[in-house]
Amino acid sequence: MQKKMAYSFPDEVLEHVFSFIQSDKDRNAVSLVCKSWYEIERWCRRKVFIGNCYAVSPRMVIRRFPEVRSIKLKGKPHFADFNLVPDGWGGYVLPWIAEMAGAYPWLEEIRLKRMVVTDESLELIAKSFKNFKVLVLFSCEGFSTDGLAAIAASCKNLRELDLRESEVDDLSGHWLAHFPETCTSLVSLNISCLRSDEVSFSALERLVGRCPNLRSLRLNRAVTLDKIANILRRAPQLVDFGTGYYAAELQPDVFSNLAGAFSSCKELKSLSGFWDVVPAYLPALYSICPRLTSLNLSYATIQSPDLIKLVSHCPRLQRLLVLDYVEDSGLEELASSCKDLQELRVFPSDPFGAEPNVSLTEQGLVAVSLGCPKLRSVLYFCRRMSNAALVTIAQNRPNLTRFRLCIIEPKTPDYLTLEPLDVGFGAIVEHCKDLSRLSLSGLLTDHVFEYIGTYGKKLEMLSVAFAGDSDLGLHHVLSGCESLRKLEIRDCPFGDKALLANAAKLETMRSLWMSSCAVSFGACKLLGQKMPKLNVEVIDETEPPDSRPESCPVDKLYIYRSVAGPRFDMPPFVWTMDEAVRILH
Amino acid sequence: MSEVDMAVIKPEMMKSYIWLQTADGSIQQVEQEVAMFCPMICHEVIQKGMGSSKNYAISLPQRVNPAMLSLILDYCRFHQVPGRSNKERKSFDEKFIRMDTKRLCELTSAADSLQLKPLVDLTSRALARIIEGKSPEEIREIFHLPDDLTEEEKLEPLKNTTDDPRIRLLNRLYAKKRKELKERQKLKNIEVEEERVDDRSVDDLLSFINGDNGDSKGIKNSKSKKKNRRRKDQQKNTSANEAIKNHNKEPNGLNQVCCSAEVGQTVWAGVGATSNLHDVEDDIFDNKNELDDGDIDDEIDPALKEKIDREVEDFARRLNSDWPERMQEILSFGHERKPVHFSLNGNGSLRRYANSEQR
Repeated sequence: MQKKMAYSFPDEVLEHVFSFIQSDKDRNAVSLVCKSWYEIERWCRRKVFIGNCYAVSPRMVIRRFPEVRSIKLKGKPHFADFNLVPDGWGGYVLPWIAEMAGAYPWLEEIRLKRMVVTDESLELIAKSFKNFKVLVLFSCEGFSTDGLAAIAASCKNLRELDLRESEVDDLSGHWLAHFPETCTSLVSLNISCLRSDEVSFSALERLVGRCPNLRSLRLNRAVTLDKIANILRRAPQLVDFGTGYYAAELQPDVFSNLAGAFSSCKELKSLSGFWDVVPAYLPALYSICPRLTSLNLSYATIQSPDLIKLVSHCPRLQRLLVLDYVEDSGLEELASSCKDLQELRVFPSDPFGAEPNVSLTEQGLVAVSLGCPKLRSVLYFCRRMSNAALVTIAQNRPNLTRFRLCIIEPKTPDYLTLEPLDVGFGAIVEHCKDLSRLSLSGLLTDHVFEYIGTYGKKLEMLSVAFAGDSDLGLHHVLSGCESLRKLEIRDCPFGDKALLANAAKLETMRSLWMSSCAVSFGACKLLGQKMPKLNVEVIDETEPPDSRPESCPVDKLYIYRSVAGPRFDMPPFVWTMDEAVRILH
Repeated sequence: MSEVDMAVIKPEMMKSYIWLQTADGSIQQVEQEVAMFCPMICHEVIQKGMGSSKNYAISLPQRVNPAMLSLILDYCRFHQVPGRSNKERKSFDEKFIRMDTKRLCELTSAADSLQLKPLVDLTSRALARIIEGKSPEEIREIFHLPDDLTEEEKLEPLKNTTDDPRIRLLNRLYAKKRKELKERQKLKNIEVEEERVDDRSVDDLLSFINGDNGDSKGIKNSKSKKKNRRRKDQQKNTSANEAIKNHNKEPNGLNQVCCSAEVGQTVWAGVGATSNLHDVEDDIFDNKNELDDGDIDDEIDPALKEKIDREVEDFARRLNSDWPERMQEILSFGHERKPVHFSLNGNGSLRRYANSEQR
């Protein structure tokens, strides 16, 4: 019996309220309140985000949300970026496209990450969705410029075509010419991943010229420096621009042309590209530097002095991606010039070299943590670290939400004390109460996991490599991190006990990846048997896991929750521990 | 007196005031320019000539009680003044909206019934902000809503029969069986043993369907797919007894986990679907009803179809009932690496045979 009457609304009113609630998390919460809200919400849900394409089947999504206009799907596990997931593993988008082609004729947006997209899929998209507007293929593969040509030719209202970091079979640059002359709707075009040297530049120029709403344009390497000015002059309204090669012999007229073109872009706030940079051309950017909020120099082989000069012109910088050529001195300049900095990523220029080639140490990061009060997100590759530095960083910047530290050599201890870096990372999780993403590196014992389990209450994603001593480490994480969604582990001595003891936890997470650890085949089977809502998949490219004793550790293990049951598109080197499939096959 | 008479006698009333009646019966008069800010009232006045006198008071929708009407009129009174700046209006709105959730809900509802869109938007946004960032329990608490979703409904459960992977697998077996029987009919090779389909063991069924895949170690061997097809074709011409014999010769009859993908592909091929990776779990046989694929069914003798139906049902029943027990058995024997066979004795109970042990 209820104490109070429920507030009653007509459905349309509630639907109107829901229209102001757009985040996936909130929509999901709304749909679980009660039966009537569930029903109303599902009919007006327009955007769906599916973090793991195997967690649910296309048909289930379609059945529950009949009026979707925008879908975002993720496929392969994150460690695929480090070549730990063999080719052919899965993540095929075609089944989704095929189902949606019939069910969502008015679908407008498809955003995919780490999925295998074929030309067939692209052709199907092109002909199935009459009002298609946005295609984002982030880190995808499996398609060629032929597929892109189909999209270009058929999608009359295309607004966004973003191929960031995808692997495209670049058969011909002429696919750009497939955009009809009537296409004027483009707002964003990112072809930076295309390698072909024969991009049809004239087609590109014409396309850019006739799209007055183009805000974001990222060119590929093939577009040479002398051509940039022409492009920019046709699109002075650009907000985000990615250059091609930024290198050429220094010629005064080319330089002044370029500088003039840049200065005419009064809205330009974000730059990227910069493969092969000739530093002498950097001053051409100075006119727009004061407005720049985002600068991606992660391919730019510019040395520290030139970087310092450039960065000192950008006081409004919020986001900087750079190679470790920036060195400690460059980061110190950054710390003093860029007080608005929120995100810093420093990539290694020579990760496989035995000796450091640049003077980039923990000092640079400490300087930035001190000088940049708004710093929230860090990705830092370096060769040495100390507990003292990490503690200082943690105390300086308790507002960090993402901290990914990659000390290049595995199991590197504190270079001052030669101790493990447990205390340093412990300080990070203790002080940074809103930390949602953490990557560990260096010499680490089970203690660091104790800290993480104790303090990492908002931690959603944890990446671990070459760390820990025993199952206790894994147990601390699984039992302590209440918000954990994604856990990826490689080369750690974690075995069966922690995993089996925390099996229920796995159902509250999106996924767990463990490779080169000590989880036995028997434990995997047991997990598969006991947990029907988990898909437990063993990856082994050399031989079937049951050709060895059950106590043998599996090579790679990927566990994810799913309401769709085991998948049926597994390649021969992936074995499901689902009992039904194993028995019936 | 007519309306026109009224207008002559009391012109100031006609000019300035509209009469409104709320559902509780109470009637009040409201300045015209304020009331007319509400589209619903506007419509009543202009289209239907209502509201000019107490007797012709406009009946407001039930959701508008006197308290809500008062709030709404406050809102209208402020906003209908043309000279105000955006900043002023925004400031008023921010103060206006501060009220407890119950009143906010009532107000949203009332504003909606009067079609006063700006106020509906204002209140809806406020409600949205209350809802954002909260868990379902918290939201239920605030709005006094029942917790009437079952755990299953919350989870999009596998129990929705059509998506249960076991059912899907059964459907696949079912379809495959029908296809094979159809082919056999074509070859005019119907043997007596097929009538005794019920007596055959589970593993016989499987080996039949899987084409008796003896190539258990071949992982990336693309040729084995063709091998399977050939073997399957051969088997079509053999009796069921031979099938049993063939299967018994194979060690690890059921533990062919390694072949799951390959076998999976042969299943697709047999089903007549295209043998590529497009056929994932939601293939044509999503739902028992959809199994009536015109092509296959048209050619099967109804009596045979009935037998297949019974067989599959039987199989399904056994599968579901003995599941946990069988799993324990399999797993507990996994250590010894003995070949494990399942067979069904006459009265349908499951018995497990291993090389050296028998229960």
